[in-house]
Amino acid sequence: MQQHRPSPVISQGPNQSESRGSRWLRPKKGRPEAKPGSVTGAARAGQRSRRRRLSLRAALAVISGRAAGALSRRLRLGGGTSIVGLVAQRLYPDIIRHLAAQLEHGSVLVTGTNGKTTTSGFLAAILRDAGLRVWRNREGANLLRGVAGALVVRALPSGNLRRAGQAISVFEIDEAVMPQAVRLLEPRAAVFINLFRDQLDRYGEVESVAALWRQMVKGLPETTTLVLNADDPTTASLGELARGPVLYFGLEDLTLDLSGQDGQGTAGTYQAVDSRSCVRCGSDYRYSARFYSHMGHYQCPHCGLERPAPTVRALQVRQDTFDRLRVTVETPTQLGEIVIPLPGLYNVYNALAAIAVAQALGISWEPIVSGIEQFKPAFGRGERVQVAGRTLRLLLAKNPTGLNEVLRTLFSEGTPRHMLFVLNDNIADGRDVSWIWDVDFERAQGLTASLTVAGTRAFDLALRLKYAGFAPEEMTIIPSTPLRALEELIGSQPRGRKGRGRGRARHQQQQPDAVAAKTSTKVSPAAEEGAASPQERATPFPGYGLATALERAIEQTPVGETLFIVPTYTGLLELHRELERRGLTPHYWEGRD
Amino acid sequence: MHGRNEARLTLTLGHLYPDQLNLYGDRGNILTLKRRCELRGIELRVVGLGIGDALAPDEYDLLFIGGGQDKEQAPVAQDLFETKGIGLWAAIEDDMPVLAVCGGYQLLAHYYRPAEGPDMKGLGVFDAWTVHKGPRTPRCIGDVVISWNGMTIVGFENHGGRTYLGTARPLGKVLKGHGNNAEDGTEGAVYRNAYGTYLHGSLLPKNPHFADYLIGLALQRKYGLRRLTSLSMPPGEILNGSTPAQLTPVDDPTTLLRPLDDRLEWQAHAAILERLGLYEEAVAALRRAEAA
Repeated sequence: MQQHRPSPVISQGPNQSESRGSRWLRPKKGRPEAKPGSVTGAARAGQRSRRRRLSLRAALAVISGRAAGALSRRLRLGGGTSIVGLVAQRLYPDIIRHLAAQLEHGSVLVTGTNGKTTTSGFLAAILRDAGLRVWRNREGANLLRGVAGALVVRALPSGNLRRAGQAISVFEIDEAVMPQAVRLLEPRAAVFINLFRDQLDRYGEVESVAALWRQMVKGLPETTTLVLNADDPTTASLGELARGPVLYFGLEDLTLDLSGQDGQGTAGTYQAVDSRSCVRCGSDYRYSARFYSHMGHYQCPHCGLERPAPTVRALQVRQDTFDRLRVTVETPTQLGEIVIPLPGLYNVYNALAAIAVAQALGISWEPIVSGIEQFKPAFGRGERVQVAGRTLRLLLAKNPTGLNEVLRTLFSEGTPRHMLFVLNDNIADGRDVSWIWDVDFERAQGLTASLTVAGTRAFDLALRLKYAGFAPEEMTIIPSTPLRALEELIGSQPRGRKGRGRGRARHQQQQPDAVAAKTSTKVSPAAEEGAASPQERATPFPGYGLATALERAIEQTPVGETLFIVPTYTGLLELHRELERRGLTPHYWEGRD
Repeated sequence: MHGRNEARLTLTLGHLYPDQLNLYGDRGNILTLKRRCELRGIELRVVGLGIGDALAPDEYDLLFIGGGQDKEQAPVAQDLFETKGIGLWAAIEDDMPVLAVCGGYQLLAHYYRPAEGPDMKGLGVFDAWTVHKGPRTPRCIGDVVISWNGMTIVGFENHGGRTYLGTARPLGKVLKGHGNNAEDGTEGAVYRNAYGTYLHGSLLPKNPHFADYLIGLALQRKYGLRRLTSLSMPPGEILNGSTPAQLTPVDDPTTLLRPLDDRLEWQAHAAILERLGLYEEAVAALRRAEAA
């Protein structure tokens, strides 16, 4: 029955039968929570009238929320799904529970520091290919209001979900919001991809998120399957506390072991390790293989805690091309090869997580393969955009491990790349950018064909690159705002006066239309360069703002080549708006897909 | 064997707890010291000192200790007290330059009193103590600027504990941000050549003057002015263009070092000042880069 309890560390044997069971397509009513037989007649009547009252309330919440969303879109205040959720939740705090309960196949929640969007994307593609209707929250809208919004935009004015039959929701959830999300959604599966250091000023330390998760897992219903990364010690350790079934995924390809090649702390490369001591006894883990950061095959020499043997395993990972990874995957029921159309080892983990959930839901192998192989990356996760004969590829990187892995993926073959880095320190990025000093930029030194540095913290990043061995002359630095003191200083020198005036003129060029017109018509980079150079000597920087930076980086990339853009989160959003304005990417309001 | 090598200046930096206290980009401080030494022909060896390693004060010329997670700070505090305490005290009393950032700063004061649970004992180098007033008191987070020696130091702070100074001298006065406790306008603490501060970000890359100050202190302590000048260094290689005869004892050890092209460093420094509204200070910082 459902009663399987995993042994503290390893949960392989019994779990396999658990995951193989044909639990999918099991109607919601079958969930032990809602046993109709246990309610008396009178109570049932009371419940019915209560339900009617709640339906009215839900209807009101849905109507108001959607009205607010329409208004916000009309006023161009923003994407609109968060405000929908916010208003609906204000009017009916239980709106999420109310609507989610109507989903025929329930919900899956995906959390972790890195990879939430891609993992839920993989999973959604698999479930769609399996014939389900999949509802997701918009990426980044991963707080409760985003979840509420995603449900409300699909609800009828009656307070009922539209087309709830055959429907399943896949929500990506912020690490810190997981406890509330789990309580409201009672998911069929909860996926924990990894836990890295991220935004110290917002989340606090890794350990405080881990403590939050441990508390939450203890309260999970037995009907929720936990899907955990076996190779991440903190994440895997949640399995010990679970009451329901646990499924682990992990890498078994020991040729990916880093410790032999560039062990931590030695000269050359550097790994940001965010969990090093045993969750049980506090001793340092020992690794027999380390894939990146603290991901690997670990064991505690003191108390014997070790990596649980995964049920869904990648036996071999081979890189066909930059963004074609050929992975041999073994599950309890299948052994097969899957091509992941994305770069980076981290995407192997994301795919394994999605496969493990699909296993837990009883999905057959074909949709798993097709879902992953035909996956279209989300914006900023390796998506391709064509601009003026160049290819842009956007690779979001918001914390040391994420950026280290992006750099490893880009530069491990020694191919020179055109790069645009964007470092912002807005609240959604984390105000503290000191983490860039834990990123192994040294790896890229000598391998950048062109290098543009932008964002609200462009100087910090430029300085980091300087100390990684890049000469300041190699970089085009484009800060988000003018450094007035420097302009003043240069302006006070006789020859700079002219430059200062021109600098202003150039600043004006940031006007949207001027920029858009410039890139849509084919500019010869050489001609541009030539025209700009006298100014560059007179003004401190060739321009300001992300639009200018993007334009500059594109100019420095010859036609036919690829520009790799590595932004932090709000940098990505800004770029998205910029490309959208040029008509290069689709709008992405939820509910329009 | 290599006669010329004897002339090469070398410094040894002891990096305390590099695996446990490395949360806030502390590596940037090490990289900065290393590179700024290398560019002047000084060799900087970095030795990691983990839990259980003893600290022999005569093996090092410079010490660095960073900040870490609370979970990892407790075993460090114990080790610092039991294993390295005597060595560290001896080094500091012998004027070794020490930079302690964030958690490391707290560990060099008398104690850290968490909101709940027992005090964490510090080394008491600084006559100061730290109190965490519980989850309801907001953390001190954000850009921070202090004045130091008539110049500015910029950084980022993120600390829950509030540090109060007894007789310890502060490192600087807070111009923007919170500093030690968001109350008295002090930031950091100084005892002999030991400097404690909450500023990370990393601290040294954007504050080249402070980095050079520490290097200068270490050189001065190791070689002494007379010995420095008697070494057969090409003139101007590390020494600031002055011939031995011109050298007189100086208060500012930075003058020993050949200036570097720090324009990017000062621009990064000025950008922080400017975004905090310290426009005049930003101009002054940029002037310093041009003068060099």
